[in-house]
Amino acid sequence: MSQEAHSVVISHSTQQHAELPNLISILAEKFHGSRFAEYLHIWENVIFSVIIAALLSFVAYRATKKAGLVPGRLQGFLEILVSAIDDFVCGILGHHGRKFTPFIGTLFLYILTMNLFGLIPLMKSSTSSLSTTVALAICVFIYVQYTAIKENGVRGYIDHMMGKPRGIIAFTVFIPVLIFAIHLVSELVRPLSLALRLRSNVWAEDALLSVAASFGIAGVPLFIFSMLLTVLSSFIQATVFALLSTIYFALVLPYKEHQGEKG
Amino acid sequence: MELLRLLSTNEIVAQVISFLILFFILRAFAWKKILLLLDARREKIASEFQKIEEAKEEISKLKSDYNEKLERIDELAQVKIQEAVSQARHIAQEIREKAAADSRIILKKAEENIELELSKAKEVLKDKVIDLTIGATEYIIKEKLTSEKDKKLISEFLDELDEVK
Repeated sequence: MSQEAHSVVISHSTQQHAELPNLISILAEKFHGSRFAEYLHIWENVIFSVIIAALLSFVAYRATKKAGLVPGRLQGFLEILVSAIDDFVCGILGHHGRKFTPFIGTLFLYILTMNLFGLIPLMKSSTSSLSTTVALAICVFIYVQYTAIKENGVRGYIDHMMGKPRGIIAFTVFIPVLIFAIHLVSELVRPLSLALRLRSNVWAEDALLSVAASFGIAGVPLFIFSMLLTVLSSFIQATVFALLSTIYFALVLPYKEHQGEKG
Repeated sequence: MELLRLLSTNEIVAQVISFLILFFILRAFAWKKILLLLDARREKIASEFQKIEEAKEEISKLKSDYNEKLERIDELAQVKIQEAVSQARHIAQEIREKAAADSRIILKKAEENIELELSKAKEVLKDKVIDLTIGATEYIIKEKLTSEKDKKLISEFLDELDEVK
């Protein structure tokens, strides 16, 4: 067993008590000790993520297959969703924010579906895994930094990272470099905080459901309450992740753009 | 450190790839198409509303024109009636004048006819008188006249003359 796989199995075993059994974990249990079980352990979250990605892609394809000005039910539903997300993003970033709508929207729908997927029997929320949320945070981080460099230029980006106003201290080298380093760390920490917040919340919801389920019949009211709480929390967490990501974009976009749009 | 143990590089890479694939698929099938459709619909609705507004303005203008004409229609009718009355009077006058002229012509013709008939009657009377005179003369010449006979003849002549008249 590789070191990577070993760590994943350990992490999985440490989480096992806090999660309801799912299709993959049951299969892994059945083939316990085999390479297949090891494989399932390693890729459990990825498998669920891929299932969700495939599901969302299929729905999007079906909804827009015969897209027209007079929408069908599925297209209508998707239009409401897209319109709401577009309004949300453009409300923060202005009209030019529309180019970020696909990214933020996909992020929101992906996280929301992953969060809610755990409520389906024998399924799991991939977002209860830190690796999943960190992966999403990395995507946000890279896209935000790419946008910052693209919109401000390399010099403008470095200038922005060194902080303003600099005044007399601009003549020293140490302070701007230090601010640059602090700024860079803060840029890295932002998506990491997103990842931790999301993972911790979803993991806690799963743990709550697991605890409620462990009470048997007596735990049914708590289980129902936990499910409702999970639904609410899933929406909140997906919204928070999308909202903060949008704000990160807003922070790196040139100021004049927002000024022009809002005014 | 405990948190770092929960991380898996392979899983992170796989999740990044999974998300990126989903992002590109949704961007192609959902976001671009739907956003374009929403924009197209928004523009269509806006243009339809614009057309409706223009049509409303047009209708309003037509309505005001119609009302204006409706208000003026009594006035126009009055003018038309006046024109018709005036024309009728003119025609009546013409008819009257023509009738007067015609009656004058008829009267003149009647007078002429009377004159003609009178002259004809005079001619006839003249011829009769001549005939009677000739007859009387012939009768006097044929018989020898006495004083009584003269009186009788004159009296018969005068009677005949009265009958002729």
